[in-house]
Amino acid sequence: MSNMIMASSSKTLITSPSIQSKAPKLPQFTTLKIRCQATQTSSNKIKTPTLNLNSLKSTAAIAAAVLTMAPPALAEQIEKAALFDFNLTLPLIMAEFLILMFALDKIYYTPLGNFMDARDKDIREKLNSVKDTSAEVKELDEQAAAIMRAARAEIAAALNQMKKETTVEVEAQMAEGRKKLEAELAEALGNLENQKEETIKALDSQIAALSDEIVKKVLPV
Amino acid sequence: MNVLPCSVNTLKGLYDISGVEVGQHFYWQRGGFQVHAQVLITSWVVIAILLGSAVIAVRNPQTILTNGQNFFEHVLEFIRDLSKTQIGEEYGPWVPFIGTMFLFIFVSNWSGALLPRKIIQLPHGELAAPTNDINTTVALALLTSVAYFYAGLSKKGLGYFGKYIQPTILLPINILEDFTKPLSLSFRLFGNILADELVVVVLVSLVPSVVPIPVMFLGLFTSGIQALIFATLAAAYIGESMEGHH
Repeated sequence: MSNMIMASSSKTLITSPSIQSKAPKLPQFTTLKIRCQATQTSSNKIKTPTLNLNSLKSTAAIAAAVLTMAPPALAEQIEKAALFDFNLTLPLIMAEFLILMFALDKIYYTPLGNFMDARDKDIREKLNSVKDTSAEVKELDEQAAAIMRAARAEIAAALNQMKKETTVEVEAQMAEGRKKLEAELAEALGNLENQKEETIKALDSQIAALSDEIVKKVLPV
Repeated sequence: MNVLPCSVNTLKGLYDISGVEVGQHFYWQRGGFQVHAQVLITSWVVIAILLGSAVIAVRNPQTILTNGQNFFEHVLEFIRDLSKTQIGEEYGPWVPFIGTMFLFIFVSNWSGALLPRKIIQLPHGELAAPTNDINTTVALALLTSVAYFYAGLSKKGLGYFGKYIQPTILLPINILEDFTKPLSLSFRLFGNILADELVVVVLVSLVPSVVPIPVMFLGLFTSGIQALIFATLAAAYIGESMEGHH
Protein backbone atom coordinates (compact mmCIF):
# COMPACT_ATOMS: atom_id res chain seq x y z
CA MET A 1 0.00 0.00 0.00
CA SER A 2 2.80 2.36 0.91
CA ASN A 3 4.09 1.83 -2.58
CA MET A 4 0.86 3.09 -4.02
CA ILE A 5 0.59 5.97 -1.67
CA MET A 6 4.13 6.84 -2.52
CA ALA A 7 3.28 6.72 -6.15
CA SER A 8 0.19 8.82 -5.80
CA SER A 9 1.73 11.34 -3.48
CA SER A 10 4.88 11.57 -5.48
CA LYS A 11 2.71 12.44 -8.40
CA THR A 12 0.74 14.95 -6.45
CA LEU A 13 3.04 16.29 -3.83
CA ILE A 14 6.55 16.26 -5.15
CA THR A 15 6.42 16.65 -8.89
CA SER A 16 4.70 19.83 -9.73
CA PRO A 17 4.43 18.99 -13.46
CA SER A 18 1.90 16.30 -12.70
CA ILE A 19 -0.22 18.83 -10.86
CA GLN A 20 0.04 21.06 -13.84
CA SER A 21 -0.99 18.21 -16.05
CA LYS A 22 -4.02 17.60 -13.92
CA ALA A 23 -4.92 21.18 -13.31
CA PRO A 24 -6.18 21.81 -16.83
CA LYS A 25 -8.86 19.21 -16.27
CA LEU A 26 -10.85 21.50 -14.05
CA PRO A 27 -11.13 24.30 -16.58
CA GLN A 28 -11.90 21.67 -19.19
CA PHE A 29 -14.78 20.46 -17.10
CA THR A 30 -16.14 23.94 -16.55
CA THR A 31 -15.80 24.83 -20.19
CA LEU A 32 -17.52 21.61 -21.12
CA LYS A 33 -20.26 22.29 -18.73
CA ILE A 34 -20.64 25.78 -20.06
CA ARG A 35 -20.64 24.35 -23.56
CA CYS A 36 -23.36 21.93 -22.53
CA GLN A 37 -25.32 24.77 -21.17
CA ALA A 38 -24.62 26.68 -24.33
CA THR A 39 -25.93 23.84 -26.48
CA GLN A 40 -28.95 23.54 -24.29
CA THR A 41 -29.66 27.21 -24.43
CA SER A 42 -28.97 27.35 -28.15
CA SER A 43 -31.54 24.62 -28.72
CA ASN A 44 -34.04 26.67 -26.77
CA LYS A 45 -32.93 29.86 -28.39
CA ILE A 46 -36.14 30.56 -30.20
CA LYS A 47 -38.22 30.28 -27.14
CA THR A 48 -39.08 32.97 -24.67
CA PRO A 49 -37.08 33.91 -21.56
CA THR A 50 -39.51 31.89 -19.47
CA LEU A 51 -38.52 28.86 -21.45
CA ASN A 52 -34.96 29.90 -20.97
CA LEU A 53 -35.65 29.68 -17.29
CA ASN A 54 -37.04 26.23 -17.97
CA SER A 55 -33.89 25.33 -19.75
CA LEU A 56 -31.94 26.56 -16.81
CA LYS A 57 -34.11 24.38 -14.67
CA SER A 58 -33.41 21.47 -16.93
CA THR A 59 -29.68 22.09 -16.69
CA ALA A 60 -30.08 22.20 -12.96
CA ALA A 61 -31.89 18.89 -13.19
CA ILE A 62 -29.09 17.49 -15.28
CA ALA A 63 -26.59 18.77 -12.78
CA ALA A 64 -28.61 17.16 -10.03
CA ALA A 65 -28.74 13.99 -12.08
CA VAL A 66 -25.00 14.19 -12.52
CA LEU A 67 -24.57 14.62 -8.81
CA THR A 68 -26.85 11.72 -8.10
CA MET A 69 -25.33 9.63 -10.84
CA ALA A 70 -21.80 10.49 -9.84
CA PRO A 71 -21.86 8.83 -6.43
CA PRO A 72 -22.18 5.34 -7.91
CA ALA A 73 -19.12 5.97 -10.02
CA LEU A 74 -17.37 7.58 -7.07
CA ALA A 75 -18.60 4.80 -4.86
CA GLU A 76 -17.04 2.37 -7.28
CA GLN A 77 -13.77 4.18 -6.87
CA ILE A 78 -14.09 4.23 -3.12
CA GLU A 79 -15.15 0.64 -3.08
CA LYS A 80 -11.81 -0.21 -4.57
CA ALA A 81 -10.21 1.75 -1.75
CA ALA A 82 -12.01 -0.35 0.80
CA LEU A 83 -10.71 0.03 4.30
CA PHE A 84 -13.51 -1.94 5.91
CA ASP A 85 -13.79 -4.64 3.35
CA PHE A 86 -14.70 -7.84 5.10
CA ASN A 87 -14.51 -11.00 3.07
CA LEU A 88 -13.16 -14.53 3.13
CA THR A 89 -9.80 -13.22 4.30
CA LEU A 90 -11.14 -13.02 7.84
CA PRO A 91 -11.94 -16.72 8.37
CA LEU A 92 -8.81 -17.67 6.46
CA ILE A 93 -6.69 -15.59 8.83
CA MET A 94 -8.50 -17.20 11.75
CA ALA A 95 -7.69 -20.65 10.40
CA GLU A 96 -4.09 -19.65 9.74
CA PHE A 97 -3.78 -18.33 13.26
CA LEU A 98 -5.14 -21.51 14.77
CA ILE A 99 -2.85 -23.65 12.63
CA LEU A 100 0.09 -21.45 13.61
CA MET A 101 -0.91 -21.76 17.25
CA PHE A 102 -0.97 -25.54 17.16
CA ALA A 103 2.22 -25.75 15.12
CA LEU A 104 4.09 -23.39 17.43
CA ASP A 105 2.74 -25.28 20.42
CA LYS A 106 4.10 -28.51 18.97
CA ILE A 107 7.52 -27.22 17.96
CA TYR A 108 8.14 -24.36 20.34
CA TYR A 109 6.12 -23.79 23.50
CA THR A 110 5.69 -27.35 24.69
CA PRO A 111 9.12 -28.84 23.88
CA LEU A 112 11.14 -25.83 24.94
CA GLY A 113 8.91 -25.25 27.96
CA ASN A 114 9.29 -28.86 29.08
CA PHE A 115 13.00 -28.67 28.47
CA MET A 116 13.32 -25.50 30.51
CA ASP A 117 11.22 -26.93 33.34
CA ALA A 118 13.29 -30.11 33.36
CA ARG A 119 16.49 -28.09 33.48
CA ASP A 120 15.13 -25.92 36.28
CA LYS A 121 14.21 -29.02 38.24
CA ASP A 122 17.60 -30.55 37.57
CA ILE A 123 19.43 -27.46 38.75
CA ARG A 124 17.23 -27.18 41.82
CA GLU A 125 17.88 -30.83 42.70
CA LYS A 126 21.60 -30.34 42.25
CA LEU A 127 21.51 -27.27 44.46
CA ASN A 128 19.57 -29.15 47.12
CA SER A 129 21.98 -32.06 46.97
CA VAL A 130 24.83 -29.61 47.41
CA LYS A 131 23.10 -28.23 50.45
CA ASP A 132 22.72 -31.81 51.79
CA THR A 133 26.42 -32.56 51.40
CA SER A 134 27.20 -29.85 53.90
CA ALA A 135 26.27 -32.42 56.60
CA GLU A 136 28.43 -34.96 54.85
CA VAL A 137 31.25 -32.50 54.81
CA LYS A 138 30.81 -31.97 58.55
CA GLU A 139 30.92 -35.70 59.12
CA LEU A 140 34.05 -35.98 57.04
CA ASP A 141 35.51 -33.10 58.99
CA GLU A 142 34.80 -34.90 62.23
CA GLN A 143 36.33 -38.06 60.88
CA ALA A 144 39.41 -36.16 59.93
CA ALA A 145 39.54 -34.61 63.40
CA ALA A 146 39.20 -38.05 64.97
CA ILE A 147 41.95 -39.43 62.81
CA MET A 148 44.13 -36.53 63.79
CA ARG A 149 43.34 -37.07 67.44
CA ALA A 150 44.15 -40.77 67.17
CA ALA A 151 47.36 -40.05 65.39
CA ARG A 152 48.27 -37.49 67.99
CA ALA A 153 47.51 -39.98 70.79
CA GLU A 154 49.53 -42.65 69.07
CA ILE A 155 52.43 -40.35 68.67
CA ALA A 156 52.17 -39.27 72.31
CA ALA A 157 52.12 -42.91 73.41
CA ALA A 158 55.12 -43.74 71.32
CA LEU A 159 56.87 -40.71 72.67
CA ASN A 160 56.08 -41.71 76.24
CA GLN A 161 57.29 -45.22 75.65
CA MET A 162 60.47 -43.98 74.14
CA LYS A 163 60.93 -41.61 77.04
CA LYS A 164 60.35 -44.44 79.47
CA GLU A 165 62.76 -46.72 77.69
CA THR A 166 65.44 -44.11 77.58
CA THR A 167 64.99 -43.25 81.23
CA VAL A 168 65.29 -46.92 82.20
CA GLU A 169 68.43 -47.20 80.16
CA VAL A 170 69.81 -44.04 81.57
CA GLU A 171 68.99 -45.15 85.08
CA ALA A 172 70.63 -48.49 84.50
CA GLN A 173 73.69 -46.81 83.21
CA MET A 174 73.62 -44.42 86.14
CA ALA A 175 73.21 -47.27 88.61
CA GLU A 176 76.10 -49.05 87.04
CA GLY A 177 78.18 -45.91 87.21
CA ARG A 178 77.26 -45.41 90.84
CA LYS A 179 78.09 -49.01 91.67
CA LYS A 180 81.46 -48.63 90.05
CA LEU A 181 81.96 -45.40 91.87
CA GLU A 182 81.02 -46.99 95.18
CA ALA A 183 83.32 -49.90 94.55
CA GLU A 184 86.12 -47.52 93.78
CA LEU A 185 85.26 -45.52 96.85
CA ALA A 186 85.21 -48.62 99.02
CA GLU A 187 88.49 -49.69 97.59
CA ALA A 188 89.96 -46.28 98.15
CA LEU A 189 88.60 -46.26 101.70
CA GLY A 190 90.05 -49.76 102.31
CA ASN A 191 93.41 -48.58 101.06
CA LEU A 192 93.17 -45.53 103.27
CA GLU A 193 92.34 -47.73 106.27
CA ASN A 194 95.25 -50.02 105.53
CA GLN A 195 97.60 -47.09 105.23
CA LYS A 196 96.20 -45.69 108.45
CA GLU A 197 96.77 -48.95 110.28
CA GLU A 198 100.24 -49.24 108.85
CA THR A 199 100.98 -45.70 109.85
CA ILE A 200 99.57 -46.36 113.32
CA LYS A 201 101.67 -49.56 113.54
CA ALA A 202 104.69 -47.62 112.45
CA LEU A 203 103.87 -44.91 114.93
CA ASP A 204 103.43 -47.51 117.68
CA SER A 205 106.91 -48.81 117.14
CA GLN A 206 108.22 -45.29 116.96
CA ILE A 207 106.30 -44.40 120.12
CA ALA A 208 108.15 -47.07 122.06
CA ALA A 209 111.51 -45.80 120.80
CA LEU A 210 110.55 -42.21 121.45
CA SER A 211 109.31 -42.93 124.90
CA ASP A 212 112.61 -44.76 125.65
CA GLU A 213 114.52 -41.72 124.41
CA ILE A 214 112.33 -39.34 126.45
CA VAL A 215 112.80 -41.50 129.53
CA LYS A 216 116.54 -41.55 129.02
CA LYS A 217 116.64 -37.82 128.58
CA VAL A 218 114.36 -37.03 131.53
CA LEU A 219 115.79 -39.51 133.88
CA PRO A 220 119.41 -39.09 134.29
CA VAL A 221 120.73 -42.39 134.71
CA MET B 1 -25.44 13.84 -21.77
CA ASN B 2 -21.74 14.32 -22.26
CA VAL B 3 -21.76 16.09 -18.92
CA LEU B 4 -21.67 12.86 -17.05
CA PRO B 5 -18.38 11.37 -18.25
CA CYS B 6 -16.49 14.61 -17.97
CA SER B 7 -17.77 15.28 -14.49
CA VAL B 8 -16.90 11.77 -13.49
CA ASN B 9 -13.47 12.35 -14.92
CA THR B 10 -13.17 15.46 -12.86
CA LEU B 11 -14.25 13.70 -9.74
CA LYS B 12 -11.79 10.97 -10.50
CA GLY B 13 -9.11 13.58 -10.99
CA LEU B 14 -10.00 15.22 -7.71
CA TYR B 15 -9.98 11.85 -6.10
CA ASP B 16 -6.57 11.13 -7.53
CA ILE B 17 -5.25 14.42 -6.23
CA SER B 18 -6.72 14.13 -2.79
CA GLY B 19 -6.31 10.40 -2.67
CA VAL B 20 -3.70 9.06 -0.44
CA GLU B 21 -4.85 5.73 -1.68
CA VAL B 22 -5.60 3.59 1.31
CA GLY B 23 -7.23 0.23 1.28
CA GLN B 24 -6.29 -0.92 -2.18
CA HIS B 25 -6.48 -4.66 -2.30
CA PHE B 26 -5.16 -7.31 -4.60
CA TYR B 27 -8.13 -9.59 -4.92
CA TRP B 28 -8.20 -13.28 -5.50
CA GLN B 29 -11.46 -14.83 -6.48
CA ARG B 30 -12.27 -18.14 -4.89
CA GLY B 31 -15.60 -19.57 -5.95
CA GLY B 32 -17.68 -16.46 -5.44
CA PHE B 33 -15.65 -15.31 -2.48
CA GLN B 34 -13.04 -12.63 -2.58
CA VAL B 35 -9.88 -12.67 -0.54
CA HIS B 36 -7.21 -10.06 -0.01
CA ALA B 37 -4.27 -11.79 -1.53
CA GLN B 38 -1.67 -9.38 -0.21
CA VAL B 39 -2.78 -10.07 3.36
CA LEU B 40 -2.65 -13.81 2.87
CA ILE B 41 0.75 -13.70 1.19
CA THR B 42 2.29 -11.57 3.91
CA SER B 43 0.71 -13.68 6.63
CA TRP B 44 2.25 -16.75 5.04
CA VAL B 45 5.61 -15.00 5.12
CA VAL B 46 5.09 -14.19 8.81
CA ILE B 47 4.08 -17.75 9.60
CA ALA B 48 7.05 -19.09 7.68
CA ILE B 49 9.40 -16.79 9.59
CA LEU B 50 7.95 -17.84 12.94
CA LEU B 51 7.87 -21.56 12.27
CA GLY B 52 11.25 -21.60 10.54
CA SER B 53 13.10 -19.69 13.23
CA ALA B 54 11.42 -21.73 15.97
CA VAL B 55 12.35 -25.00 14.28
CA ILE B 56 15.96 -23.92 13.78
CA ALA B 57 16.39 -22.55 17.29
CA VAL B 58 14.58 -25.23 19.27
CA ARG B 59 15.24 -28.36 17.22
CA ASN B 60 17.99 -29.54 19.54
CA PRO B 61 17.79 -27.90 22.97
CA GLN B 62 21.08 -27.66 24.83
CA THR B 63 21.52 -27.42 28.56
CA ILE B 64 24.16 -24.80 27.99
CA LEU B 65 22.53 -22.21 25.80
CA THR B 66 23.29 -21.30 22.25
CA ASN B 67 22.39 -17.81 21.11
CA GLY B 68 19.24 -18.70 19.19
CA GLN B 69 17.92 -20.92 21.93
CA ASN B 70 18.69 -18.25 24.51
CA PHE B 71 16.60 -15.75 22.56
CA PHE B 72 13.69 -18.13 22.20
CA GLU B 73 13.85 -19.07 25.86
CA HIS B 74 13.74 -15.39 26.74
CA VAL B 75 10.69 -14.93 24.54
CA LEU B 76 8.99 -17.93 26.09
CA GLU B 77 9.81 -16.68 29.58
CA PHE B 78 8.36 -13.31 28.64
CA ILE B 79 5.15 -14.87 27.32
CA ARG B 80 4.79 -17.09 30.36
CA ASP B 81 5.37 -14.14 32.63
CA LEU B 82 2.78 -12.09 30.79
CA SER B 83 0.22 -14.91 30.91
CA LYS B 84 0.92 -15.56 34.55
CA THR B 85 0.50 -11.97 35.65
CA GLN B 86 -2.76 -11.59 33.73
CA ILE B 87 -4.38 -15.02 34.09
CA GLY B 88 -2.96 -16.25 37.37
CA GLU B 89 -1.80 -19.69 38.40
CA GLU B 90 -3.80 -21.60 35.77
CA TYR B 91 -2.03 -19.86 32.93
CA GLY B 92 -0.45 -23.02 31.50
CA PRO B 93 -2.99 -23.97 28.81
CA TRP B 94 -3.23 -20.38 27.59
CA VAL B 95 0.45 -19.88 26.87
CA PRO B 96 0.15 -21.04 23.23
CA PHE B 97 -2.76 -18.71 22.55
CA ILE B 98 -1.25 -15.63 24.17
CA GLY B 99 2.18 -16.40 22.81
CA THR B 100 1.02 -16.93 19.25
CA MET B 101 -1.09 -13.79 19.48
CA PHE B 102 1.91 -11.77 20.59
CA LEU B 103 4.39 -13.29 18.17
CA PHE B 104 2.09 -13.19 15.17
CA ILE B 105 1.15 -9.55 15.69
CA PHE B 106 4.68 -8.53 16.56
CA VAL B 107 6.30 -10.22 13.57
CA SER B 108 3.51 -8.96 11.32
CA ASN B 109 3.97 -5.37 12.44
CA TRP B 110 7.72 -5.45 12.17
CA SER B 111 7.64 -7.24 8.86
CA GLY B 112 5.51 -4.40 7.53
CA ALA B 113 8.13 -1.93 8.69
CA LEU B 114 11.33 -3.82 8.01
CA LEU B 115 11.01 -6.19 5.07
CA PRO B 116 11.77 -4.61 1.71
CA ARG B 117 8.52 -5.60 0.11
CA LYS B 118 8.56 -3.10 -2.69
CA ILE B 119 10.80 -5.51 -4.56
CA ILE B 120 7.73 -7.61 -5.28
CA GLN B 121 5.17 -5.69 -7.28
CA LEU B 122 1.56 -6.78 -7.15
CA PRO B 123 -0.86 -6.03 -9.97
CA HIS B 124 -2.99 -4.09 -7.52
CA GLY B 125 -2.45 -3.04 -3.97
CA GLU B 126 0.79 -3.62 -2.17
CA LEU B 127 2.38 -6.00 0.29
CA ALA B 128 2.24 -4.56 3.79
CA ALA B 129 1.86 -5.77 7.34
CA PRO B 130 -1.02 -8.25 7.58
CA THR B 131 -2.19 -6.34 10.62
CA ASN B 132 -3.04 -3.25 8.63
CA ASP B 133 -5.97 -5.06 7.11
CA ILE B 134 -9.18 -4.95 9.13
CA ASN B 135 -9.86 -8.61 8.33
CA THR B 136 -6.78 -9.74 10.21
CA THR B 137 -7.35 -7.63 13.28
CA VAL B 138 -11.03 -8.54 13.50
CA ALA B 139 -10.16 -12.20 13.07
CA LEU B 140 -7.69 -12.00 15.95
CA ALA B 141 -10.11 -10.01 18.11
CA LEU B 142 -12.94 -12.48 17.49
CA LEU B 143 -10.64 -15.36 18.37
CA THR B 144 -9.88 -13.54 21.60
CA SER B 145 -13.60 -13.24 22.31
CA VAL B 146 -14.11 -16.92 21.63
CA ALA B 147 -11.12 -17.69 23.82
CA TYR B 148 -12.37 -15.81 26.85
CA PHE B 149 -15.87 -17.20 26.51
CA TYR B 150 -14.38 -20.68 26.27
CA ALA B 151 -12.16 -20.00 29.27
CA GLY B 152 -15.07 -18.80 31.40
CA LEU B 153 -17.48 -21.52 30.33
CA SER B 154 -14.99 -24.35 30.73
CA LYS B 155 -13.99 -23.09 34.16
CA LYS B 156 -17.38 -22.29 35.62
CA GLY B 157 -19.93 -23.82 33.28
CA LEU B 158 -23.10 -21.84 32.83
CA GLY B 159 -22.39 -20.11 36.11
CA TYR B 160 -20.07 -17.97 34.04
CA PHE B 161 -23.06 -15.93 32.94
CA GLY B 162 -23.78 -15.17 36.57
CA LYS B 163 -21.17 -12.43 36.45
CA TYR B 164 -23.36 -10.51 34.01
CA ILE B 165 -25.92 -9.87 36.71
CA GLN B 166 -23.58 -9.29 39.56
CA PRO B 167 -25.23 -6.01 40.10
CA THR B 168 -28.34 -6.53 37.96
CA ILE B 169 -28.32 -2.91 36.84
CA LEU B 170 -25.06 -3.44 35.01
CA LEU B 171 -26.44 -6.22 32.80
CA PRO B 172 -26.68 -4.05 29.65
CA ILE B 173 -23.21 -2.68 30.18
CA ASN B 174 -21.82 -6.14 30.75
CA ILE B 175 -23.42 -7.37 27.55
CA LEU B 176 -22.20 -4.31 25.72
CA GLU B 177 -18.70 -5.03 26.93
CA ASP B 178 -18.62 -8.28 25.00
CA PHE B 179 -19.07 -6.25 21.84
CA THR B 180 -16.76 -3.39 22.72
CA LYS B 181 -13.90 -5.67 23.67
CA PRO B 182 -13.28 -7.17 20.21
CA LEU B 183 -14.19 -3.88 18.59
CA SER B 184 -11.64 -1.90 20.56
CA LEU B 185 -9.01 -4.61 20.21
CA SER B 186 -9.30 -4.86 16.45
CA PHE B 187 -9.64 -1.16 15.74
CA ARG B 188 -6.80 -0.21 18.03
CA LEU B 189 -4.40 -2.52 16.26
CA PHE B 190 -5.70 -1.76 12.78
CA GLY B 191 -5.66 1.99 13.30
CA ASN B 192 -2.24 2.11 14.86
CA ILE B 193 -0.52 0.03 12.23
CA LEU B 194 -2.27 1.71 9.32
CA ALA B 195 -1.62 5.17 10.72
CA ASP B 196 1.98 4.30 11.38
CA GLU B 197 2.57 3.15 7.82
CA LEU B 198 0.73 6.16 6.46
CA VAL B 199 2.77 8.60 8.51
CA VAL B 200 6.00 7.04 7.34
CA VAL B 201 4.87 7.00 3.73
CA VAL B 202 3.66 10.58 3.75
CA LEU B 203 6.81 11.79 5.43
CA VAL B 204 8.96 9.86 2.97
CA SER B 205 7.09 11.40 0.10
CA LEU B 206 7.57 14.87 1.56
CA VAL B 207 11.18 14.60 2.72
CA PRO B 208 12.78 11.55 1.23
CA SER B 209 15.93 11.42 3.33
CA VAL B 210 16.78 11.89 7.00
CA VAL B 211 13.55 13.22 8.47
CA PRO B 212 11.43 10.04 8.37
CA ILE B 213 14.01 7.94 10.21
CA PRO B 214 12.93 8.90 13.77
CA VAL B 215 9.33 8.34 12.74
CA MET B 216 10.28 4.92 11.43
CA PHE B 217 11.87 4.09 14.75
CA LEU B 218 8.79 5.39 16.51
CA GLY B 219 6.80 3.11 14.20
CA LEU B 220 8.87 0.10 15.24
CA PHE B 221 8.32 1.04 18.86
CA THR B 222 4.56 1.45 18.53
CA SER B 223 4.39 -1.80 16.56
CA GLY B 224 5.96 -3.65 19.43
CA ILE B 225 3.78 -1.87 21.95
CA GLN B 226 0.64 -2.71 19.99
CA ALA B 227 1.54 -6.39 19.91
CA LEU B 228 2.17 -6.29 23.64
CA ILE B 229 -1.09 -4.46 24.30
CA PHE B 230 -3.10 -6.90 22.23
CA ALA B 231 -1.58 -9.93 23.91
CA THR B 232 -1.86 -8.40 27.38
CA LEU B 233 -5.49 -7.42 26.90
CA ALA B 234 -6.36 -10.85 25.50
CA ALA B 235 -4.74 -12.45 28.54
CA ALA B 236 -6.48 -9.99 30.84
CA TYR B 237 -9.89 -10.80 29.33
CA ILE B 238 -9.24 -14.51 29.69
CA GLY B 239 -8.07 -14.03 33.24
CA GLU B 240 -11.07 -11.87 34.03
CA SER B 241 -13.53 -14.48 32.78
CA MET B 242 -11.73 -17.22 34.72
CA GLU B 243 -11.42 -15.47 38.05
CA GLY B 244 -13.95 -16.28 40.72
CA HIS B 245 -16.70 -13.75 41.24
CA HIS B 246 -17.89 -13.60 44.82
